[in-house]
Amino acid sequence: MPKFVHLHAASAYSAHYGVSWPDDLVQAAAADGADALAATDRDGLYGAIKHVQACMAAGIDPILGVDLAILDDAGQGSGAGPSRSRPAPVETGRVVVLAHGGRALRAGAGYAALCRLVSAAHARQQGPVGLTLAELAGGVLDPETGEPALTVLVGPFSDVAGAMGGRRYLAPRTRFAAWLHAMPAGTLAVEVVSHFSEPGGPLSTTRAVRMLKLAEEFGVPAVLANAVRYCTADDAPTADVLDAARAITPLGRLPGLQPTGQGWLKSGADMHRAGREIVGQGGYGTAELEQLWANTLKVADKCRLDPAADLGWKRPVTPEAAVLGLSQAPARELWQRAEAGLSLRFPGIGGGRLAAVRDRLTMEMDTINDLGFASYFLTVAEVSEMIRGMGVRRAARGSGASSLVNYLLGISAVDPIANDLLFERFLSRDRSTLPDIDLDVESAERHNVYHRIFERFGPRRVTLMSMQNGYRARGAVRDAGLALGMDPEDVDGIAKQLWRFSARSFREALVEKPELRDFAARVEQAHELGGGTQLDLLVDLTERLDRLPRHISMHPCGVILGDATLLDRTPVQPSGLGLPMSQFDKHDMDPMGMLKLDVLGVRMQSAMAYAVREVVRLHPSKAEVVAAGRHPAGPDGRGPDYVGEDGRIDLDAVPLDDEPTFELIRSTHTLGCFQIESPGQRELVGKMAPREFNDLIIDISLFRPGPMKSNMVKPYLENRHGFAPEHYAHPDLKPALAETHGVTVFHEQVLRTFHVMTGCSLSHADEHRRRLGNPEQEPAVEAFFRTSARAKGYGPETIEEVWETLKAFGSFGFCKAHGAAFAMPTYQSAWLKAHHPAEFLAGLWEHDPGMYPRRLLVAEARRMGIPILPLDVNASTGSYRAERTRAVPGGSGGNSGGATGGATGCATAGREAAGEEVTGIRLSLADVYGLSGTELKRIVAGQPYDSLADLRSRARVSRPVLKRLAQLGALDSLQRSAQQATGNTANRADLVAHVNSLPAPKSGRHNEPMEGQLHLPLGELELGTLPARLPAPTQAETVRTELDLLALDASAHLMDSYAPLLAELGVTTSDRLLGLRNNSEVLVAGVRVATQTPPMRGGRRVVFISIDDGTGCVDATFFHEAQDRSGPLLFGTRMLLIRGLTRRTGPRGISLQALEAWDLGRPETLPGPGCLQDPRRPQDSRHPAPGKPEPTVAGLARLMESEGLDHRTGQAAPEGACPAGLVGAARNRYDQGGPQQPPYVAWTRGHT
Amino acid sequence: MGTFSEGIEVVETAAGLPLHLAWRGGRYTLAAEPLRWYRRRNWWDEETRAAPGTGAGLVDREIWRVQVRRDGGSRNAPLLTLDLVRYLPSGRWRVIKIHDALTETVEELEPGA
Repeated sequence: MPKFVHLHAASAYSAHYGVSWPDDLVQAAAADGADALAATDRDGLYGAIKHVQACMAAGIDPILGVDLAILDDAGQGSGAGPSRSRPAPVETGRVVVLAHGGRALRAGAGYAALCRLVSAAHARQQGPVGLTLAELAGGVLDPETGEPALTVLVGPFSDVAGAMGGRRYLAPRTRFAAWLHAMPAGTLAVEVVSHFSEPGGPLSTTRAVRMLKLAEEFGVPAVLANAVRYCTADDAPTADVLDAARAITPLGRLPGLQPTGQGWLKSGADMHRAGREIVGQGGYGTAELEQLWANTLKVADKCRLDPAADLGWKRPVTPEAAVLGLSQAPARELWQRAEAGLSLRFPGIGGGRLAAVRDRLTMEMDTINDLGFASYFLTVAEVSEMIRGMGVRRAARGSGASSLVNYLLGISAVDPIANDLLFERFLSRDRSTLPDIDLDVESAERHNVYHRIFERFGPRRVTLMSMQNGYRARGAVRDAGLALGMDPEDVDGIAKQLWRFSARSFREALVEKPELRDFAARVEQAHELGGGTQLDLLVDLTERLDRLPRHISMHPCGVILGDATLLDRTPVQPSGLGLPMSQFDKHDMDPMGMLKLDVLGVRMQSAMAYAVREVVRLHPSKAEVVAAGRHPAGPDGRGPDYVGEDGRIDLDAVPLDDEPTFELIRSTHTLGCFQIESPGQRELVGKMAPREFNDLIIDISLFRPGPMKSNMVKPYLENRHGFAPEHYAHPDLKPALAETHGVTVFHEQVLRTFHVMTGCSLSHADEHRRRLGNPEQEPAVEAFFRTSARAKGYGPETIEEVWETLKAFGSFGFCKAHGAAFAMPTYQSAWLKAHHPAEFLAGLWEHDPGMYPRRLLVAEARRMGIPILPLDVNASTGSYRAERTRAVPGGSGGNSGGATGGATGCATAGREAAGEEVTGIRLSLADVYGLSGTELKRIVAGQPYDSLADLRSRARVSRPVLKRLAQLGALDSLQRSAQQATGNTANRADLVAHVNSLPAPKSGRHNEPMEGQLHLPLGELELGTLPARLPAPTQAETVRTELDLLALDASAHLMDSYAPLLAELGVTTSDRLLGLRNNSEVLVAGVRVATQTPPMRGGRRVVFISIDDGTGCVDATFFHEAQDRSGPLLFGTRMLLIRGLTRRTGPRGISLQALEAWDLGRPETLPGPGCLQDPRRPQDSRHPAPGKPEPTVAGLARLMESEGLDHRTGQAAPEGACPAGLVGAARNRYDQGGPQQPPYVAWTRGHT
Repeated sequence: MGTFSEGIEVVETAAGLPLHLAWRGGRYTLAAEPLRWYRRRNWWDEETRAAPGTGAGLVDREIWRVQVRRDGGSRNAPLLTLDLVRYLPSGRWRVIKIHDALTETVEELEPGA
């Protein structure tokens, strides 16, 4: 059988076009005996590195190319000069461009030319991605040698083939002649493809023959290919669905579908038959077929790439020493800087401690220099220092905190020696990949930081990293429904019920998940009726789309730094930010030896920076801040050193032992605090009652899927509280495990356990740890562990017990360095909430960092007795500002929000006598629905206003916005002052009616008052004489309006209007739950604020729903049975009534085990009063399933992977993961955090 | 609307090309090189399932245009031209088009016929 090489194959990374993964394509080709395969994705090298990796694994040669559009900018007339209104270029067809390998050319030149060409295709200011013929011709030669670096395949999608319809003779020849004329010699080939469509049509054999004849006529080599879009014939329908999704058009109305389903990766034998058929129909014989075949292999040979020589595979590249400003070798420079850091970080130490620090430093430096990474550390230090210089808050996160060098260079703020962190977890000689150092910065400053990095290193050396966004269940079902032409609303309804499972298991989920019961019944019913089969197809197509890449977007934090050759090694395209973005994602970094720096925008950092600014704005001196925050007297009695003379607080200098902060954390009123605000975390901190900083590190590390699932939390807590004796498998392990009472929590402990019991080095121990949980590699680790531990004299029982722990935990545990890095902002945010709650909440409202909708944090302010100051055109700005105000007895608004339910640690609570000044928060104009940025600026610039007319004439807001401002009470202050003068008694409704009746403002400049001309003081007249005709809006109406226009219930809690109903039903409020006995049956009601499906022991899904009732949150747990009873209510409903049993979780914590739930919005479905006494009510019949096997760790890992439950990558919300293609599209205000984990259900706003 | 498609027995060559036909009580043999192509299907209208693993033959259907002569017929008789469809995975054949000087009948079939 003759060997064949496919030169034209798109992978799944051709978004909405290719169907199959590079791995599958490569394996299929290799299995068929091919010794090379090309990856030619559309518009880029998106799948290139994965392809090369797969080829290396399969032992075949990679070929790389791109499938590019050719553009015709016909408007560019000859000699007409630059015309102002040049039409955007139009696409005339597509061709494949392949890179030549080092066999034919200077190594790397072909690949570099390809990268540059792809970048150029994306660099056009307007019009589609692609190149003109001239641009393409200008990029196919190696600029150094002038030799051909690329081969262009003019094939079935080119303008030449497009001109072949209808037996035209001249048109294709004219077009091909243009190609020949434009392209340098040796860069052109004709691609002959038949998908055996109806004779004469596109991709028919007829046209393939015509292409073949054309090539012969012009003396250009012809190659045989199959324009592959999928691996097997089975995938052809998926390509149809992708076409529909790309065009956003149902299949039934979509022109230009693939004419047949023949575009799969056909075997060499199939291709040979195809070649014979084409040649035969053309009237040729065997000789021509052999020629075609030989040409194909010849081009393939020219394009074989050597990963090392052509791509620089795995060779780390960092910016040049000169760019870093080094006058000496990087290794020397690093030594000097670390030495300098010693005296800064460890002032005045000596003797044994100094020796220990020096030993550690020497060890780290040796490793770094052996790996040649000194310039990497210097680069990161440079960026970190640059951010500091910008005055932006920054914090290192991740395992980088394990390095003393990072600490000495100022990259990390955590002392790795004091916190017992292991360098080997971060970097070792056993791993030669560049380590990850992540920097958290204020989210609001992230873009500025990026721009500065580009400026500092130069645009040749920097690009942003991208990420691939794949189909998950919801998107898949939406696009499958679109393809089938189903009613979008119907599909949307189905999509909303899909909750975090992979699309691949849709049909399985139909059987299992209670919330899909209704949908499953519809599918079943359709079966019985023999019609409505679309639902079945919907399920099948959804499964087909599973995980396929949909679009590329800017990675939320990755910045790639390289030397001056960076853009020869990665193609770039514009990102939403305007900065170039690589087409490679994080998986491509290591193979390409690219230095990736994670600069993460963290909203909490912005919120904290904002809070600190607000504190100093309201209290501009040290004395005032110390008084307001009740800070300790400090060394000289004037307050602590971390409060500056001007009142500025240095958060990073706050000691980590502040008692009010820990008291706040123990109270579980941690809404808004970094990492510890989720329902599960509030429960855990309640149980754990942290007393010191290390407790926070442990808490954060425990609240991970691994420890939660393998039930390490309970023994830890029992040991901690002394309920059970600490247990160590062997006394030798005590030093490593003592801080967590014998329970293995940290990676560092796993490393030490390996080290102690097997005698292996810590860096080897880390290699062993990485292999745990991998079914293929774990057995070898086990064998090593058992043998070595036996050799060291440990008994079989000890070995057995320790191995079980390692096995269950090693792959899941948390790196202590991560925990330590996270615990810092956790502590700092809790400190701010304890001492400056109003300013802190203002920061949270402003930057919206958490997992909850903003309205819950407004409810939290109300609960804490912090006045919520209404919108006011004269007092509100574009920000949520802290404001001094007179305390109103009973708090603000209608809801008494005094110190309830142990609102401890709250500085204002208990001090608020009537008339005393307290700090409240003024609502911001920024979130008024429909108020534009320019209107906002004008309003703020013109403040204050003395009348409505004044506001109208100077702020020039649109009438609808003016009406909304009136509805929201923002004009009340104007109305009040007018009424004080006149005694008028009109209310807000009258004012709204008046604003509504105003004539629309005339447009045009001539209406504006001239400079110096004052408006007549008519305002008082206008508002002072309003007829009082309408009833004042009720509080429920006001709240409704606020929710609609502001997405907040500001003047009272949303639940307040339900009070009579809830009283009748006998509902218990959140603040009273803590006073109840364990296992009391109660009804609770509230607004949903969060929904989570965290990993749980036993493998069965548990749903956590948190509701807020105005007095606090109730966290309800729905086990399987309760999920079953609640069905569709689980994920869709906003206002819930829940019946359940109280579960005491700790001295200060209580939660609810739900038994049943109702939709408060559907009164007719609610139970009647006295339902808790109804003997027929469903009871808790939950008991452990007998004989159900405990899931294995590997099984859990798979499950978590498939359901997206693995949150180990961190909870902090990276800012602005916005798909490149969706910039400017309407986005829900709550989903801007990108991959925030875990998610919550945000209710939609009902504005009309 | 035409008449219904008709079943046909086809004997294939080793390479999978049709060679002999049995149709309407007569036997026929190919008298010229057959022409093969694939015709697109609106599978989303015609099929009830498209589960992963069952997608082959969903998007297109294999059509053969054959020119045949009745076995034992006169060598001068005009060739009969038929369009055949081969169904996968069953491998069964049906006639969907009979090229006739006077009338032309075309039939789309239910799948799996």
